[in-house]
Amino acid sequence: MIDLLVVGAGPAGLSAAIAAAEQGLKVKVLDEFPKVGGRLLGQLHQEPSGEWWNGIEMGEKLHQKARLEGVNIQCEVSVSDISRTDFGWSVYTSVGMIKAKNLLLATGASETAIPLPGWTLPGAISIGAAQVMGNVHRVKPGNSCVIIGANVLSIAIANELMLCGVKVKEIIIPETGPVAKDAGVPEKVMASLMRLTHLAPNAFLRQAGKFGKFVSPKVAAQFFPKNGIRVLGIPIRVKKAAIEIIGEGQATGVRTVAVTPDGKRIQGTEQVTEADFVCIAGGLAPMSELASIAGCSFKYVEELGGHIPLHSERMETAVPGLYVAGNITGVESAKVAMAQGKVAGLTVAFNTNGASKKTEMLVKCALDDVRKTRANALIEFQPGIVEARERIYVQFEQERIAVKQAITVS
Amino acid sequence: MSDEKTIVCRCEEISFQTISDTVREYSCSSREVKLRTRAGMGYCGGRTCRHMIDTIVAGINQEPIADEIQLSYRPPARPLTFGVLGGMQHDNESR
Repeated sequence: MIDLLVVGAGPAGLSAAIAAAEQGLKVKVLDEFPKVGGRLLGQLHQEPSGEWWNGIEMGEKLHQKARLEGVNIQCEVSVSDISRTDFGWSVYTSVGMIKAKNLLLATGASETAIPLPGWTLPGAISIGAAQVMGNVHRVKPGNSCVIIGANVLSIAIANELMLCGVKVKEIIIPETGPVAKDAGVPEKVMASLMRLTHLAPNAFLRQAGKFGKFVSPKVAAQFFPKNGIRVLGIPIRVKKAAIEIIGEGQATGVRTVAVTPDGKRIQGTEQVTEADFVCIAGGLAPMSELASIAGCSFKYVEELGGHIPLHSERMETAVPGLYVAGNITGVESAKVAMAQGKVAGLTVAFNTNGASKKTEMLVKCALDDVRKTRANALIEFQPGIVEARERIYVQFEQERIAVKQAITVS
Repeated sequence: MSDEKTIVCRCEEISFQTISDTVREYSCSSREVKLRTRAGMGYCGGRTCRHMIDTIVAGINQEPIADEIQLSYRPPARPLTFGVLGGMQHDNESR
Protein backbone atom coordinates (compact mmCIF):
# COMPACT_ATOMS: atom_id res chain seq x y z
CA MET A 1 0.00 0.00 0.00
CA ILE A 2 1.04 3.59 -0.57
CA ASP A 3 2.60 5.20 2.51
CA LEU A 4 1.71 8.73 1.49
CA LEU A 5 -0.82 10.01 -1.02
CA VAL A 6 -0.40 13.68 -1.89
CA VAL A 7 -3.27 15.64 -3.40
CA GLY A 8 -1.81 18.47 -5.47
CA ALA A 9 1.39 18.49 -7.54
CA GLY A 10 2.28 22.10 -6.82
CA PRO A 11 5.31 23.46 -4.96
CA ALA A 12 4.12 22.12 -1.59
CA GLY A 13 2.91 18.71 -2.79
CA LEU A 14 6.00 17.94 -4.87
CA SER A 15 8.41 19.06 -2.14
CA ALA A 16 6.59 16.90 0.40
CA ALA A 17 6.63 13.92 -1.95
CA ILE A 18 10.37 14.30 -2.52
CA ALA A 19 11.14 14.64 1.20
CA ALA A 20 9.04 11.60 2.12
CA ALA A 21 10.41 9.46 -0.72
CA GLU A 22 13.97 10.34 0.30
CA GLN A 23 13.15 8.80 3.67
CA GLY A 24 12.10 5.59 1.95
CA LEU A 25 8.35 6.05 1.84
CA LYS A 26 6.21 4.87 -1.06
CA VAL A 27 4.63 8.06 -2.37
CA LYS A 28 2.00 8.89 -4.95
CA VAL A 29 0.91 12.36 -6.09
CA LEU A 30 -2.37 13.28 -7.79
CA ASP A 31 -3.23 16.49 -9.61
CA GLU A 32 -6.27 17.69 -11.53
CA PHE A 33 -4.29 19.65 -14.05
CA PRO A 34 -2.71 18.02 -17.15
CA LYS A 35 0.70 19.38 -16.11
CA VAL A 36 2.75 19.07 -12.95
CA GLY A 37 3.69 22.25 -11.07
CA GLY A 38 0.46 23.80 -9.81
CA ARG A 39 0.66 27.55 -9.47
CA LEU A 40 4.37 27.46 -10.24
CA LEU A 41 3.34 27.04 -13.86
CA GLY A 42 2.11 30.60 -14.05
CA GLN A 43 4.88 32.42 -12.22
CA LEU A 44 7.40 34.61 -13.95
CA HIS A 45 8.73 37.69 -12.21
CA GLN A 46 11.92 39.58 -11.57
CA GLU A 47 13.35 39.67 -8.07
CA PRO A 48 15.06 42.69 -6.48
CA SER A 49 18.41 40.99 -7.14
CA GLY A 50 17.55 41.25 -10.83
CA GLU A 51 17.18 37.49 -11.14
CA TRP A 52 14.05 36.07 -12.69
CA TRP A 53 11.83 33.65 -10.82
CA ASN A 54 10.75 31.18 -13.45
CA GLY A 55 8.03 28.98 -11.97
CA ILE A 56 7.83 26.64 -14.94
CA GLU A 57 11.52 25.77 -14.62
CA MET A 58 11.20 25.32 -10.87
CA GLY A 59 8.16 23.05 -11.37
CA GLU A 60 10.09 20.97 -13.89
CA LYS A 61 13.04 20.68 -11.50
CA LEU A 62 10.79 19.41 -8.71
CA HIS A 63 9.06 17.05 -11.13
CA GLN A 64 12.37 15.50 -12.22
CA LYS A 65 13.61 15.22 -8.65
CA ALA A 66 10.39 13.51 -7.58
CA ARG A 67 10.60 11.03 -10.44
CA LEU A 68 14.21 10.30 -9.57
CA GLU A 69 13.12 9.49 -6.02
CA GLY A 70 10.56 7.06 -7.39
CA VAL A 71 7.46 9.14 -6.69
CA ASN A 72 4.47 8.09 -8.77
CA ILE A 73 2.74 11.15 -10.24
CA GLN A 74 -0.64 11.05 -11.92
CA CYS A 75 -2.16 14.12 -13.57
CA GLU A 76 -5.73 14.79 -14.70
CA VAL A 77 -7.12 13.00 -11.67
CA SER A 78 -9.68 14.68 -9.41
CA VAL A 79 -10.37 13.66 -5.83
CA SER A 80 -14.07 13.71 -5.08
CA ASP A 81 -14.22 12.12 -1.64
CA ILE A 82 -12.02 10.79 1.15
CA SER A 83 -12.81 8.62 4.10
CA ARG A 84 -10.86 7.30 7.05
CA THR A 85 -10.52 3.57 7.42
CA ASP A 86 -8.73 1.22 9.80
CA PHE A 87 -5.62 1.22 7.59
CA GLY A 88 -5.53 4.94 6.81
CA TRP A 89 -7.45 6.50 3.95
CA SER A 90 -9.68 5.55 1.07
CA VAL A 91 -9.45 8.27 -1.53
CA TYR A 92 -12.11 8.34 -4.23
CA THR A 93 -10.94 9.78 -7.51
CA SER A 94 -12.06 10.16 -11.10
CA VAL A 95 -10.02 7.00 -11.86
CA GLY A 96 -11.21 4.89 -8.97
CA MET A 97 -10.41 4.40 -5.31
CA ILE A 98 -6.88 4.61 -3.97
CA LYS A 99 -5.78 3.36 -0.55
CA ALA A 100 -3.04 5.04 1.43
CA LYS A 101 -1.71 5.02 4.97
CA ASN A 102 -1.28 8.78 5.11
CA LEU A 103 -2.83 11.65 3.21
CA LEU A 104 -1.39 15.07 2.53
CA LEU A 105 -3.67 17.79 1.23
CA ALA A 106 -1.67 20.29 -0.77
CA THR A 107 -4.59 21.62 -2.75
CA GLY A 108 -3.49 25.26 -2.69
CA ALA A 109 -5.78 28.23 -2.95
CA SER A 110 -8.51 29.31 -5.31
CA GLU A 111 -9.33 32.78 -6.51
CA THR A 112 -12.15 34.75 -5.03
CA ALA A 113 -14.32 36.82 -7.32
CA ILE A 114 -15.71 40.28 -6.78
CA PRO A 115 -19.21 40.41 -8.19
CA LEU A 116 -20.28 43.43 -10.23
CA PRO A 117 -22.83 43.77 -13.02
CA GLY A 118 -21.57 41.97 -16.10
CA TRP A 119 -18.93 39.83 -14.35
CA THR A 120 -20.57 36.68 -15.68
CA LEU A 121 -20.12 37.72 -19.33
CA PRO A 122 -17.74 35.64 -21.46
CA GLY A 123 -14.48 37.56 -21.64
CA ALA A 124 -14.63 38.54 -17.98
CA ILE A 125 -12.09 36.22 -16.38
CA SER A 126 -10.13 35.94 -13.18
CA ILE A 127 -6.60 37.33 -13.16
CA GLY A 128 -5.29 33.81 -12.51
CA ALA A 129 -7.08 32.52 -15.59
CA ALA A 130 -5.34 35.17 -17.69
CA GLN A 131 -2.02 34.13 -16.16
CA VAL A 132 -2.60 30.46 -16.94
CA MET A 133 -3.69 31.22 -20.53
CA GLY A 134 -0.63 33.37 -21.17
CA ASN A 135 2.13 31.63 -19.26
CA VAL A 136 1.01 28.00 -19.35
CA HIS A 137 -0.97 27.55 -22.53
CA ARG A 138 0.78 30.35 -24.44
CA VAL A 139 -2.54 31.73 -25.58
CA LYS A 140 -3.18 35.48 -25.53
CA PRO A 141 -6.59 35.99 -23.94
CA GLY A 142 -6.97 39.08 -26.15
CA ASN A 143 -5.03 42.06 -27.36
CA SER A 144 -6.13 44.48 -24.68
CA CYS A 145 -7.46 44.22 -21.15
CA VAL A 146 -8.56 46.10 -18.05
CA ILE A 147 -7.71 44.69 -14.62
CA ILE A 148 -10.14 45.27 -11.76
CA GLY A 149 -8.32 45.03 -8.42
CA ALA A 150 -5.02 46.73 -7.56
CA ASN A 151 -3.02 44.33 -5.43
CA VAL A 152 0.29 42.51 -5.37
CA LEU A 153 -1.02 39.64 -7.48
CA SER A 154 -2.71 41.75 -10.14
CA ILE A 155 0.31 44.03 -10.58
CA ALA A 156 2.68 41.08 -10.94
CA ILE A 157 0.38 39.40 -13.48
CA ALA A 158 -0.19 42.67 -15.38
CA ASN A 159 3.54 42.70 -15.97
CA GLU A 160 3.43 39.09 -17.20
CA LEU A 161 0.54 39.89 -19.54
CA MET A 162 2.59 42.73 -21.00
CA LEU A 163 5.39 40.24 -21.64
CA CYS A 164 2.81 38.13 -23.50
CA GLY A 165 2.07 41.11 -25.73
CA VAL A 166 -1.23 42.10 -24.14
CA LYS A 167 -1.93 45.81 -23.80
CA VAL A 168 -3.00 46.31 -20.20
CA LYS A 169 -5.03 49.50 -20.58
CA GLU A 170 -5.33 50.18 -16.87
CA ILE A 171 -5.45 48.64 -13.42
CA ILE A 172 -8.40 50.05 -11.52
CA ILE A 173 -10.17 49.12 -8.31
CA PRO A 174 -13.56 47.50 -7.75
CA GLU A 175 -16.25 49.74 -6.32
CA THR A 176 -16.34 49.24 -2.56
CA GLY A 177 -19.26 47.17 -1.32
CA PRO A 178 -20.19 44.19 0.83
CA VAL A 179 -17.70 41.90 -0.96
CA ALA A 180 -15.02 44.25 -2.31
CA LYS A 181 -14.78 46.17 1.00
CA ASP A 182 -11.31 47.76 1.43
CA ALA A 183 -10.20 46.65 -2.05
CA GLY A 184 -12.47 49.46 -3.29
CA VAL A 185 -11.25 52.17 -0.90
CA PRO A 186 -8.32 54.11 -2.44
CA GLU A 187 -6.59 54.96 0.84
CA LYS A 188 -6.72 51.33 1.96
CA VAL A 189 -5.46 50.16 -1.43
CA MET A 190 -2.59 52.66 -1.19
CA ALA A 191 -1.74 51.38 2.28
CA SER A 192 -1.47 47.82 1.04
CA LEU A 193 0.52 48.76 -2.09
CA MET A 194 2.91 50.91 -0.05
CA ARG A 195 3.71 47.98 2.21
CA LEU A 196 5.35 46.36 -0.78
CA THR A 197 8.03 49.01 -1.24
CA HIS A 198 10.85 47.16 0.44
CA LEU A 199 10.06 43.75 -0.96
CA ALA A 200 8.76 44.61 -4.39
CA PRO A 201 9.31 41.64 -6.70
CA ASN A 202 10.34 43.72 -9.69
CA ALA A 203 11.11 47.17 -10.96
CA PHE A 204 7.44 47.60 -11.67
CA LEU A 205 6.38 47.27 -8.06
CA ARG A 206 9.41 49.15 -6.78
CA GLN A 207 8.32 52.25 -8.66
CA ALA A 208 4.76 51.95 -7.49
CA GLY A 209 6.03 51.74 -3.94
CA LYS A 210 8.33 54.71 -4.27
CA PHE A 211 5.43 57.04 -4.65
CA GLY A 212 4.25 56.58 -1.12
CA LYS A 213 7.51 56.07 0.68
CA PHE A 214 7.51 59.20 2.78
CA VAL A 215 3.81 59.94 3.19
CA SER A 216 0.87 58.27 4.87
CA PRO A 217 -1.49 56.15 2.74
CA LYS A 218 -4.25 58.64 3.38
CA VAL A 219 -2.22 61.54 2.03
CA ALA A 220 -0.91 59.39 -0.79
CA ALA A 221 -4.45 58.54 -1.83
CA GLN A 222 -5.46 62.20 -1.62
CA PHE A 223 -2.72 63.34 -3.95
CA PHE A 224 -2.64 60.25 -6.10
CA PRO A 225 -2.74 61.61 -9.67
CA LYS A 226 -6.11 61.26 -11.35
CA ASN A 227 -4.53 59.57 -14.34
CA GLY A 228 -2.70 57.14 -12.13
CA ILE A 229 0.96 56.38 -12.01
CA ARG A 230 2.21 54.83 -15.18
CA VAL A 231 4.81 52.14 -14.74
CA LEU A 232 6.17 50.18 -17.69
CA GLY A 233 3.30 51.62 -19.67
CA ILE A 234 0.56 50.36 -17.36
CA PRO A 235 -1.45 53.02 -15.53
CA ILE A 236 -2.44 52.06 -12.00
CA ARG A 237 -5.49 54.11 -11.11
CA VAL A 238 -6.46 53.60 -7.50
CA LYS A 239 -9.08 56.34 -7.57
CA LYS A 240 -11.01 54.88 -10.48
CA ALA A 241 -13.58 52.19 -9.73
CA ALA A 242 -15.29 49.66 -11.99
CA ILE A 243 -19.07 49.81 -11.78
CA GLU A 244 -20.01 47.48 -14.62
CA ILE A 245 -18.48 45.15 -17.17
CA ILE A 246 -20.24 45.98 -20.42
CA GLY A 247 -20.88 44.08 -23.64
CA GLU A 248 -23.58 42.23 -25.58
CA GLY A 249 -22.98 38.52 -25.13
CA GLN A 250 -19.31 39.20 -24.51
CA ALA A 251 -17.29 41.67 -22.45
CA THR A 252 -16.16 44.65 -24.51
CA GLY A 253 -15.14 47.05 -21.77
CA VAL A 254 -15.65 48.45 -18.30
CA ARG A 255 -17.81 51.33 -17.12
CA THR A 256 -15.87 53.28 -14.52
CA VAL A 257 -16.32 56.16 -12.14
CA ALA A 258 -13.86 58.34 -10.23
CA VAL A 259 -14.01 57.88 -6.46
CA THR A 260 -12.90 59.90 -3.43
CA PRO A 261 -10.03 58.60 -1.22
CA ASP A 262 -12.63 56.89 0.98
CA GLY A 263 -14.29 55.25 -1.99
CA LYS A 264 -17.39 57.38 -2.71
CA ARG A 265 -18.50 57.93 -6.29
CA ILE A 266 -17.85 61.36 -7.78
CA GLN A 267 -20.87 62.37 -9.86
CA GLY A 268 -20.41 63.06 -13.55
CA THR A 269 -17.15 61.16 -13.92
CA GLU A 270 -18.43 58.05 -15.65
CA GLN A 271 -16.30 56.70 -18.45
CA VAL A 272 -15.98 53.57 -20.55
CA THR A 273 -12.67 51.83 -21.17
CA GLU A 274 -12.88 49.38 -24.03
CA ALA A 275 -10.97 46.10 -23.86
CA ASP A 276 -10.97 42.63 -25.41
CA PHE A 277 -11.15 41.02 -22.00
CA VAL A 278 -11.52 42.05 -18.39
CA CYS A 279 -9.67 40.50 -15.45
CA ILE A 280 -11.02 40.44 -11.91
CA ALA A 281 -8.34 40.21 -9.23
CA GLY A 282 -10.21 39.46 -6.01
CA GLY A 283 -7.43 37.65 -4.16
CA LEU A 284 -6.89 34.07 -3.07
CA ALA A 285 -8.51 31.83 -0.48
CA PRO A 286 -7.25 28.43 0.78
CA MET A 287 -9.03 25.48 -0.82
CA SER A 288 -10.46 23.70 2.18
CA GLU A 289 -13.10 21.36 0.76
CA LEU A 290 -11.24 18.05 1.23
CA ALA A 291 -9.97 19.03 4.69
CA SER A 292 -13.56 19.81 5.62
CA ILE A 293 -14.83 16.47 4.31
CA ALA A 294 -12.04 14.74 6.27
CA GLY A 295 -13.34 16.27 9.49
CA CYS A 296 -10.76 18.97 10.25
CA SER A 297 -11.80 21.86 12.42
CA PHE A 298 -11.26 25.32 11.02
CA LYS A 299 -10.33 28.85 11.98
CA TYR A 300 -11.23 31.87 9.94
CA VAL A 301 -8.02 33.87 9.64
CA GLU A 302 -8.19 36.98 7.49
CA GLU A 303 -4.38 37.33 7.29
CA LEU A 304 -4.08 33.83 5.83
CA GLY A 305 -6.84 34.31 3.28
CA GLY A 306 -9.84 32.57 4.82
CA HIS A 307 -10.76 29.29 6.50
CA ILE A 308 -7.68 27.36 7.59
CA PRO A 309 -7.73 23.72 8.74
CA LEU A 310 -6.20 23.68 12.22
CA HIS A 311 -2.69 22.29 11.99
CA SER A 312 0.60 22.16 13.84
CA GLU A 313 3.79 23.84 12.71
CA ARG A 314 4.84 20.34 11.59
CA MET A 315 1.85 20.33 9.23
CA GLU A 316 -0.19 17.69 11.09
CA THR A 317 -3.93 18.14 11.42
CA ALA A 318 -5.86 16.84 14.41
CA VAL A 319 -7.14 14.00 12.22
CA PRO A 320 -4.76 11.03 12.49
CA GLY A 321 -2.77 10.43 9.30
CA LEU A 322 -3.92 13.68 7.69
CA TYR A 323 -1.42 16.42 6.82
CA VAL A 324 -1.61 19.78 5.08
CA ALA A 325 0.98 21.98 3.36
CA GLY A 326 1.14 24.99 1.09
CA ASN A 327 -1.57 27.53 0.48
CA ILE A 328 -4.30 25.38 2.03
CA THR A 329 -2.66 26.47 5.32
CA GLY A 330 -2.64 30.16 4.32
CA VAL A 331 -1.87 32.16 1.22
CA GLU A 332 1.86 32.74 0.86
CA SER A 333 4.53 32.52 -1.83
CA ALA A 334 5.56 29.36 -3.69
CA LYS A 335 8.89 29.39 -1.85
CA VAL A 336 7.15 29.16 1.53
CA ALA A 337 4.93 26.41 0.12
CA MET A 338 8.01 24.42 -0.93
CA ALA A 339 9.58 24.79 2.50
CA GLN A 340 6.33 23.74 4.18
CA GLY A 341 6.05 20.75 1.87
CA LYS A 342 9.45 19.53 3.00
CA VAL A 343 8.36 19.80 6.65
CA ALA A 344 5.20 17.83 5.90
CA GLY A 345 7.03 15.09 4.00
CA LEU A 346 9.60 14.68 6.75
CA THR A 347 6.95 14.69 9.46
CA VAL A 348 5.08 11.89 7.71
CA ALA A 349 8.35 9.93 7.51
CA PHE A 350 9.06 10.64 11.17
CA ASN A 351 5.61 9.42 12.23
CA THR A 352 5.67 6.40 9.88
CA ASN A 353 9.22 5.10 10.23
CA GLY A 354 9.33 5.64 13.95
CA ALA A 355 11.00 8.56 15.67
CA SER A 356 14.71 8.82 14.99
CA LYS A 357 17.17 11.49 16.03
CA LYS A 358 18.24 11.95 12.43
CA THR A 359 14.74 12.60 11.11
CA GLU A 360 13.97 14.82 14.08
CA MET A 361 16.98 16.93 13.17
CA LEU A 362 15.90 17.08 9.54
CA VAL A 363 12.42 18.23 10.60
CA LYS A 364 13.93 20.92 12.80
CA CYS A 365 16.13 22.18 9.95
CA ALA A 366 13.12 22.19 7.62
CA LEU A 367 11.06 24.16 10.16
CA ASP A 368 13.86 26.65 10.42
CA ASP A 369 13.92 26.96 6.67
CA VAL A 370 10.17 27.77 6.61
CA ARG A 371 10.71 30.60 9.09
CA LYS A 372 13.65 31.98 7.15
CA THR A 373 11.86 31.75 3.82
CA ARG A 374 8.84 33.49 5.29
CA ALA A 375 10.99 36.28 6.70
CA ASN A 376 12.59 36.82 3.29
CA ALA A 377 9.31 36.57 1.38
CA LEU A 378 9.15 38.86 -1.59
CA ILE A 379 5.42 38.70 -1.95
CA GLU A 380 3.63 39.06 1.35
CA PHE A 381 -0.03 38.76 0.60
CA GLN A 382 -1.23 40.09 3.94
CA PRO A 383 0.45 41.74 6.91
CA GLY A 384 0.63 39.80 10.15
CA ILE A 385 1.16 36.34 8.63
CA VAL A 386 3.75 35.27 11.22
CA GLU A 387 1.53 36.24 14.17
CA ALA A 388 -1.54 34.63 12.59
CA ARG A 389 0.36 31.39 12.11
CA GLU A 390 1.56 31.38 15.72
CA ARG A 391 -2.07 31.72 16.82
CA ILE A 392 -3.07 28.74 14.66
CA TYR A 393 -0.33 26.55 16.14
CA VAL A 394 -1.41 27.42 19.69
CA GLN A 395 -5.07 26.77 18.92
CA PHE A 396 -4.11 23.48 17.31
CA GLU A 397 -2.44 22.22 20.48
CA GLN A 398 -5.51 23.23 22.47
CA GLU A 399 -7.90 21.42 20.17
CA ARG A 400 -5.76 18.42 19.28
CA ILE A 401 -7.13 16.23 22.04
CA ALA A 402 -10.75 17.30 21.68
CA VAL A 403 -10.84 16.60 17.96
CA LYS A 404 -9.08 13.27 18.32
CA GLN A 405 -11.90 12.10 20.55
CA ALA A 406 -14.55 13.19 18.08
CA ILE A 407 -13.12 11.23 15.16
CA THR A 408 -14.94 8.02 14.49
CA VAL A 409 -13.31 5.45 12.31
CA SER A 410 -15.67 4.40 9.58
CA MET B 1 -23.11 48.23 -7.12
CA SER B 2 -26.34 47.77 -9.00
CA ASP B 3 -27.83 45.08 -6.78
CA GLU B 4 -30.50 43.81 -9.15
CA LYS B 5 -28.07 43.24 -12.01
CA THR B 6 -25.28 41.75 -9.93
CA ILE B 7 -25.30 37.96 -10.00
CA VAL B 8 -23.69 36.24 -7.01
CA CYS B 9 -24.46 32.56 -7.71
CA ARG B 10 -23.92 32.09 -11.41
CA CYS B 11 -25.17 28.49 -11.56
CA GLU B 12 -28.56 29.27 -10.06
CA GLU B 13 -28.58 32.92 -11.22
CA ILE B 14 -29.22 34.40 -7.79
CA SER B 15 -28.64 38.14 -7.56
CA PHE B 16 -27.08 40.16 -4.78
CA GLN B 17 -30.51 41.78 -4.32
CA THR B 18 -32.23 38.43 -3.69
CA ILE B 19 -29.59 37.40 -1.18
CA SER B 20 -29.58 40.65 0.77
CA ASP B 21 -33.41 40.83 0.76
CA THR B 22 -33.54 37.29 2.13
CA VAL B 23 -31.01 37.98 4.89
CA ARG B 24 -32.87 41.13 5.93
CA GLU B 25 -36.34 39.57 5.82
CA TYR B 26 -35.45 36.43 7.78
CA SER B 27 -32.33 37.71 9.57
CA CYS B 28 -30.71 34.44 8.66
CA SER B 29 -27.43 32.59 8.26
CA SER B 30 -25.56 31.70 5.05
CA ARG B 31 -26.99 28.22 5.30
CA GLU B 32 -30.55 29.48 5.53
CA VAL B 33 -29.95 31.82 2.59
CA LYS B 34 -28.75 28.84 0.61
CA LEU B 35 -31.81 26.78 1.49
CA ARG B 36 -34.22 29.64 0.75
CA THR B 37 -32.70 30.87 -2.50
CA ARG B 38 -30.64 27.94 -3.85
CA ALA B 39 -27.59 30.23 -3.95
CA GLY B 40 -24.56 27.92 -3.79
CA MET B 41 -26.56 24.81 -4.68
CA GLY B 42 -25.85 24.76 -8.39
CA TYR B 43 -23.73 22.64 -10.66
CA CYS B 44 -20.39 23.90 -9.31
CA GLY B 45 -21.35 23.11 -5.71
CA GLY B 46 -20.76 26.66 -4.55
CA ARG B 47 -17.12 26.68 -5.50
CA THR B 48 -17.38 30.18 -6.94
CA CYS B 49 -19.89 31.94 -4.70
CA ARG B 50 -19.50 30.29 -1.29
CA HIS B 51 -17.02 32.88 -0.10
CA MET B 52 -19.13 35.75 -1.45
CA ILE B 53 -22.30 34.50 0.21
CA ASP B 54 -20.54 34.17 3.57
CA THR B 55 -19.07 37.65 3.26
CA ILE B 56 -22.36 39.26 2.23
CA VAL B 57 -24.34 37.56 5.00
CA ALA B 58 -21.77 38.34 7.69
CA GLY B 59 -21.71 41.96 6.52
CA ILE B 60 -25.46 42.45 6.65
CA ASN B 61 -25.76 40.72 10.02
CA GLN B 62 -22.75 42.73 11.23
CA GLU B 63 -21.06 39.61 12.51
CA PRO B 64 -17.52 38.40 12.00
CA ILE B 65 -17.11 35.44 9.64
CA ALA B 66 -17.39 32.31 11.79
CA ASP B 67 -14.61 29.77 12.30
CA GLU B 68 -16.92 26.90 11.42
CA ILE B 69 -17.60 26.53 7.73
CA GLN B 70 -21.16 27.74 7.25
CA LEU B 71 -21.89 26.30 3.83
CA SER B 72 -20.73 22.77 4.40
CA TYR B 73 -18.74 20.77 1.89
CA ARG B 74 -20.13 17.40 0.95
CA PRO B 75 -18.78 14.79 -1.38
CA PRO B 76 -18.45 14.61 -4.29
CA ALA B 77 -16.13 17.62 -4.12
CA ARG B 78 -15.82 17.57 -7.90
CA PRO B 79 -18.33 16.80 -10.66
CA LEU B 80 -18.20 13.09 -11.48
CA THR B 81 -19.34 11.08 -14.45
CA PHE B 82 -22.09 8.51 -13.93
CA GLY B 83 -19.53 5.92 -15.00
CA VAL B 84 -17.26 6.73 -12.07
CA LEU B 85 -20.21 6.95 -9.68
CA GLY B 86 -21.48 3.62 -10.97
CA GLY B 87 -18.13 1.96 -10.30
CA MET B 88 -16.90 1.52 -13.84
CA GLN B 89 -13.39 1.72 -12.39
CA HIS B 90 -12.09 -1.12 -10.25
CA ASP B 91 -12.17 0.35 -6.81
CA ASN B 92 -9.48 -1.88 -5.36
CA GLU B 93 -6.67 -0.73 -7.57
CA SER B 94 -3.87 1.31 -6.12
CA ARG B 95 -2.13 2.68 -9.13
